[in-house]
Amino acid sequence: MSIRSSLAVIALVGLPLLACGGGAKEEAAPPPAPAASAAAPAASAGGGATTGAPSISGKISFEGTAPAPEKIKTSADPKCQAMHPQGLERQTVDASGGGLKDVLVYVKSGVSGSYPVPTEPVLLDQKGCMYHPHIITVQAGQPLKIRNSDDTLHNIHPRPTTNPEFNIGQPRQGMESTKTFEKPEVPIPVGCDVHPWMRSYIAVLNHPFFAVTKEDGTYEIKGLPAGEYEIEAWHEKLKTQTQKVTVKDGEKAKADFSYKS
Amino acid sequence: MSGRSGSVSSSTTFRDAPRFDPWRHRLGVATAAATLVLIFVGGLVTSTGSGLSVPDWPLSYGMLMPPMVGGVFYEHSHRMVASLVGFLTLVLAVWTARAEARAGVRRLAWAALAAVVAQGVLGGLTVIYLLPTPVSVAHACLAQTFFCITIALAYSTSREWLAPPAKTIDASGVRGAALAAAVVVYVQLAIGAVMRHIGAGLAIPDFPLSFGRVVPPVATAPVLVHFAHRVGALAVLLAVSVFFLRARRAGDPRFVRLAAALLGLVVFQIALGAATVLTTKAVTPTTLHVATGAAILGGCWLATLRSFRLLRPAPSVAEAPVAQPVPQS
Repeated sequence: MSIRSSLAVIALVGLPLLACGGGAKEEAAPPPAPAASAAAPAASAGGGATTGAPSISGKISFEGTAPAPEKIKTSADPKCQAMHPQGLERQTVDASGGGLKDVLVYVKSGVSGSYPVPTEPVLLDQKGCMYHPHIITVQAGQPLKIRNSDDTLHNIHPRPTTNPEFNIGQPRQGMESTKTFEKPEVPIPVGCDVHPWMRSYIAVLNHPFFAVTKEDGTYEIKGLPAGEYEIEAWHEKLKTQTQKVTVKDGEKAKADFSYKS
Repeated sequence: MSGRSGSVSSSTTFRDAPRFDPWRHRLGVATAAATLVLIFVGGLVTSTGSGLSVPDWPLSYGMLMPPMVGGVFYEHSHRMVASLVGFLTLVLAVWTARAEARAGVRRLAWAALAAVVAQGVLGGLTVIYLLPTPVSVAHACLAQTFFCITIALAYSTSREWLAPPAKTIDASGVRGAALAAAVVVYVQLAIGAVMRHIGAGLAIPDFPLSFGRVVPPVATAPVLVHFAHRVGALAVLLAVSVFFLRARRAGDPRFVRLAAALLGLVVFQIALGAATVLTTKAVTPTTLHVATGAAILGGCWLATLRSFRLLRPAPSVAEAPVAQPVPQS
């Protein structure tokens, strides 16, 4: 093979690789990070959007043995691995606080009338290569702010069946995007295709009567007018339970749920 | 031959009578080989569930070279290898247009370029529109078609094509068997693409039986597509076996060796299919299954091209010489 021929081969193989590896394109500066206090969106995990005395409260208990935490391999992204030097575990059924955590409790039926849609966005944060919160609740039409707090890239890919699906990238730390879901849908799984262990669920409701259980399994739904309601509890692994609840004026109703392994 | 043949006699850009150009032939072979690698890497993207790990196209997160982490590694590697194949095809098309005497080969080279551009656009659409099944299946099928075009380009510039030995009579039906095998394999790959992209790869969870029976008792669309792929595997085994038997009957080593290799690949492919089901779609067997399927198609297609180039059909009964009566003395 002559030198000229060799050079021709090198050029053929090398040029496109150089073209692909030509470095990052200059991008628009990321939006400034939101202010820590006043501009912070309303928290929704652990409580609904309403105020006032609790109308319905309760506790979700769990009987039996919870499955062992799932060990997550983060080596596909060294930056995620560095954020979790002790390793990363996910406890899907978390009853370590005395009750079942991360259960969505919401009024499934019985709500009449319409309720104003909050303009404050709800935050879904990507931090430590995990979603925070794990269960996120919004009203239909309420803005959902998605933030990348990690020094690595993420894509955000909800897979709704009623609302339009989208897939957006956030390659840099501090980037934020705002999306809205216009139709009620429970639940919408959210994932990152770059880091397949990242998983979250969005609940979109057309009223503000919902809550997500805290570490001790308790929840409160406030501001519900008197009436008869069907309450549903949804857990990503243990699925759903429902019960009928009557709310009377000035009285607090109770609705406990119990899951078994 | 070009009408310009009278003015220039030695330029490589001159469309003279077909002659062997080793470097253009090697480029054709390299393009075909790179395409097989591309199909493997594309298979990795689907097997690892990384198809949407880069949400934009043609850039990746707005960059030419994003951090190669997680699923981005597979998806962006696929784009890089695709860029290489596209570049090789562009060079091959331009080179062929300038130096090739045969209009058919020039058209084939432009068709290859059009196919690789269309394939890139389909790949982009499948990302932008979040993996719609028809687009993803079309992307998978066009990949196989493009692979066949590159094989045809490489073979048409080979010594064997340009200076073939005298044609021998295809008394054993090798040509028809090779062509039938190529068609059956292509249809089987298309069914496989549908199965893969509707997520029916595990619709039948056991192997070799289907839900413990020869014919599955359920008739949902995923089960039907999956079962069709299994039946297709038997059809491929049958078609390649017929090709092998006919090649052996013909006793032509050029086809016997190729057919034997293809038969071995089909057996390996069926084992990979079983492994795909039994390992619940582990990445390695699943991706090798995709690439081996392409290799079988490429082999059957090459066998078809060779058989039509090197063999001529056996004369029909009507054309056969009729025995003349011997005159009585």
